[in-house]
Amino acid sequence: MTALSTLYSVIYQFGDNFAYLVLAALGLAVIFGMMGVINLAHGEFIMCGAYVTIICAKRGIPLPIAMLLGAVAAACAGVVIERLVIRHLYDRLFDSVVATWAISLIVQQTMLLVAGPSMEGISTPFGSFVFGEYSFSTYRAVLPIIALCVLGALYWLFFRSNYGVCARATIQNANMAQCLGLRTDHLYTLTFALGAGLAGLTGALYAPTMTAVPTMGTNFIVQAFVSVVVGGANVIAGTTPAAAILAVIQTALTASYGQLIGQIGLLLTVIMVIRLMPQGLGNLFNRTR
Amino acid sequence: MLPDMSRWLRIAVTAGLTCSSIAALAADPIKLGLLEDASGNFALATIPKIHATELAVDEINAKGGIMGRPIKLIAYDTQSDNTKFQELSRRLIQTDKADVIFGGFSSASREAIRPIMDRAHQLYWYNNQYEGGVCDSNVFVTGAVPEQQFSTLIPWMMQKYGKKVYTIAADYNFGQISAEWVRNIVKANGGTMVGEEFIPLSVSQFGQTIQNIQKAKPDFVMTLLVGANQASYYEQQASAHLNLPMGSSVNVGQAYEHKRFKAPALKDMFVTANYVEEVDSPASNDFKKRFHAKYPNEPYINQEAANAYDAVYLYKAAVEKAKSTDQTAVRKALEAGNICTDGPSGKVCIDPKSHHLSHTIYLVHVKEDHSVEIPKVWDNVQPYWLDQVGCNLPLKPDHRQYTPSSLPSKS
Amino acid sequence: MIQPASGAVSPTLRQPVLPRLLRLAPWVLAFCLPLVVDANASGNFAYYLVWAFAAVGLAAMWGQGGILSFGQTAFFGLSGYTYGIVTLNLGDGWLSSWSGLIIGLVVSAGGAALLGYMIFYGKIKGVFIGIVTLSVTLVLETFMAQTAGPQWVIGEARLNGYNGMTGMPPLTLPWFGGPVTLENTSFYYLVLVLLAVVYAFTRRLLDSPFGLALVAIRENPQRAEMLGIDIRRHQLLIFVLGCTLGGLSGALYTIWGSYITPSAMGLTSAAMPVIWVATAGRKSIGAAIIGTAVLVWLSQWLAIYGSEYALILMGAVLLFVVLAAPEGLLPFVSDRARWVFTRRPSKSRSFETQKRSES
Repeated sequence: MTALSTLYSVIYQFGDNFAYLVLAALGLAVIFGMMGVINLAHGEFIMCGAYVTIICAKRGIPLPIAMLLGAVAAACAGVVIERLVIRHLYDRLFDSVVATWAISLIVQQTMLLVAGPSMEGISTPFGSFVFGEYSFSTYRAVLPIIALCVLGALYWLFFRSNYGVCARATIQNANMAQCLGLRTDHLYTLTFALGAGLAGLTGALYAPTMTAVPTMGTNFIVQAFVSVVVGGANVIAGTTPAAAILAVIQTALTASYGQLIGQIGLLLTVIMVIRLMPQGLGNLFNRTR
Repeated sequence: MLPDMSRWLRIAVTAGLTCSSIAALAADPIKLGLLEDASGNFALATIPKIHATELAVDEINAKGGIMGRPIKLIAYDTQSDNTKFQELSRRLIQTDKADVIFGGFSSASREAIRPIMDRAHQLYWYNNQYEGGVCDSNVFVTGAVPEQQFSTLIPWMMQKYGKKVYTIAADYNFGQISAEWVRNIVKANGGTMVGEEFIPLSVSQFGQTIQNIQKAKPDFVMTLLVGANQASYYEQQASAHLNLPMGSSVNVGQAYEHKRFKAPALKDMFVTANYVEEVDSPASNDFKKRFHAKYPNEPYINQEAANAYDAVYLYKAAVEKAKSTDQTAVRKALEAGNICTDGPSGKVCIDPKSHHLSHTIYLVHVKEDHSVEIPKVWDNVQPYWLDQVGCNLPLKPDHRQYTPSSLPSKS
Repeated sequence: MIQPASGAVSPTLRQPVLPRLLRLAPWVLAFCLPLVVDANASGNFAYYLVWAFAAVGLAAMWGQGGILSFGQTAFFGLSGYTYGIVTLNLGDGWLSSWSGLIIGLVVSAGGAALLGYMIFYGKIKGVFIGIVTLSVTLVLETFMAQTAGPQWVIGEARLNGYNGMTGMPPLTLPWFGGPVTLENTSFYYLVLVLLAVVYAFTRRLLDSPFGLALVAIRENPQRAEMLGIDIRRHQLLIFVLGCTLGGLSGALYTIWGSYITPSAMGLTSAAMPVIWVATAGRKSIGAAIIGTAVLVWLSQWLAIYGSEYALILMGAVLLFVVLAAPEGLLPFVSDRARWVFTRRPSKSRSFETQKRSES
């Protein structure tokens, strides 16, 4: 029984780390992986989703609806930012570093002034369950499954829906897509909003487990960027295996040597994977381009 | 927006007071420089400090200032950034010519500006709890130190809950030194450390840590976690139903986690702090009334707010004793002893040898609904460790920080 | 006859006098500055300029070579800590402090060579270089932050973890009647002289065939390779130069403040050189110097006068600059100035062939 519970504990940890990496990375994978925009304000979309979720939940709205509202709010914020700022930067994508950094500064500080340095959060739902000598949080055990559902939904969106075809066409060759009659500017806005909405969803999902401060988004940034870059340009087939590999390494190291080695090990793994596969993992799955 | 209104109100009141003081006395103001983070990661805990300092300055100015001279508060927002601390402390010393400088939250920010203060022989007050050990002629500390917080907390918890202790601490100086103190006191009281984990400051996911604690089966957990990232531990351990009592020297009293997390995340958390908002004494209630009159929207009045408030009054007492603001004279007055003030936590006095402050230590117990009770109070706990290891600033000027594993050389 | 771009022609031919004087003007102003401001303000200006070395290095790497590195602060910290370790062990004398500086630069160069070898000879390109350098920086930061214990000591120097290493001596020069400490005005002149040397050297390097090869590599690596240029060697060399300049910033910062801490290698700090260079204009190293100094000054000015709105205003300024001035702030200003003075459109010095999306 102890061996079984220890085994489950390892699986639980892996699922926890995997969910964190994948959910942190998805929004950024769409915006950076697909559009090439380096979005340093990714953390702020996450924060937006979390704050909206908490405010709605405290007003009495059921938690799943509150989370959806959080994601939608972040998506709307994404539309606004794309229209005002990002669309001027498509021919000079490196400058998106400065623009999104500036937006991140402004948003964080404004949130601090408007909402105060902290806000009372919400509790994690679903309680806990006991298995062997450990007790686990039910919600966190379910998070990896939610992450996989989100990935599945994204797959469906990109490969089975009209929007998906148009978006992939625009990413591959914007000029040709425009010649064929696609409204590329609308598509860019929609894609950016999708990325922002996914980030908001991450914030919403993690809101019951974390403290609500204006800088809460910065927790996710490093993990998001490394997962996206290691994964390469392909959102589904790149980011997911990248998150899985990084999660395995991080789980193993943290369990054996502690959190410090886990963190350092994660970063060193990133360096090694990039060194071994300079185009990112997604390339392994690319047949034609 | 209310914060803006109170800010304008503050400006108007300060302007009015300053005008009246100047009109009445036409005296040269005493410049108090303040370096605190009004924005950035640390603002959560430091905004009450800034407000408390402003409250003390306004009160003193309303009563005529120090020796008839008004205090001019020159406050800069250091944005939780060490380089800003360095730049702005230079400005306070060289351009503004501050008579005294208060400030610093993280130990890194204090250590960044201590060399600058020392080079200029500038009087500097650090009004925050920390890992202890600063034996510096120019520095006075009103924050609580480990010997005051742990030597009271740990024996009490071991008596109540048992002798097996697990520590999780932030993986940097403060956490490591505090963990060392915990280890030593647990052993001295006949207990065992069943585990010790150090967590980097950027980590916010504690799944593995919670499993490790469950495996080790301690009687209680010492949580020495710092920062908003690490505070997520409390919600995560509650949702995993870890259900162990916790002890801390740094949570609740500084960053009011019991108000920021939904119950019962901090159930059975015991903290030793030199002040919390929930203290129900005449001095504390009067302080709270005045504080909330000026800042009605303050989320919490933490122990650092009390430290900062006391510091202004202690400085006033020292200047009055020295009859001058000359920094050497003020330092000598402080080192002569008997500089005390009656603050929100009662009477506190500067210890001349170590430049630290004696404290009333309150044992704070957070209950399941996050209400607070105070089962025990220790009066007049001295900062004895530095004296014990040989720090004697009136006789032996010094500029270093010592730790239990890096003691002053015996000479 | 095809007119080559301005930098490639011998400077004595067909260069009107006024633009050359204008280019020297900032240097003359800078040298005369201590005559009009007091010693403390000079010390403050020296602080603004200390960061310019890292910016020059990044501008050379990124603007000319197309290598976006988030690692400037890693070498910043590496040199800073090396200076601290050397001087805390060797004592307070002038030999100790100068050797600390030199050894700090050597360590940075060595580290950059190793990292660059792994990156460029491993064929890592584009944004991956940014992520790898960022990871290295964060590994260093995470590692150094936990070195608080007594076992983390090199000779006499405790690494001291997150609290940082402190107590290093400043630079001194031997002089008749006792050593002279370089601080405030004298430190300002030291930094200015170093900056002038670095600027002249980098300018010559970037205008030389080596620099032209870098541009070719940036624009089209395969074509450059087919023309016989060893891409990896060129990239490695400019990377080493850029990172060593980052290290020079770090050593000077440590000397200025007697303090170095792991948070100088954190995520925010790592992004700052990129932000400065991107805002100031990465195609021109002169712009990088002035832009960085202005942005550091602005950040300080806002912290003093902007109170809690400082960061919002900073963000607004950056946003405005990046939207209104695509090439960077200084090229924008200098283009307008050049147009006003000479009524001629500018010839860009870094041989931008055509506008195309960055990759």
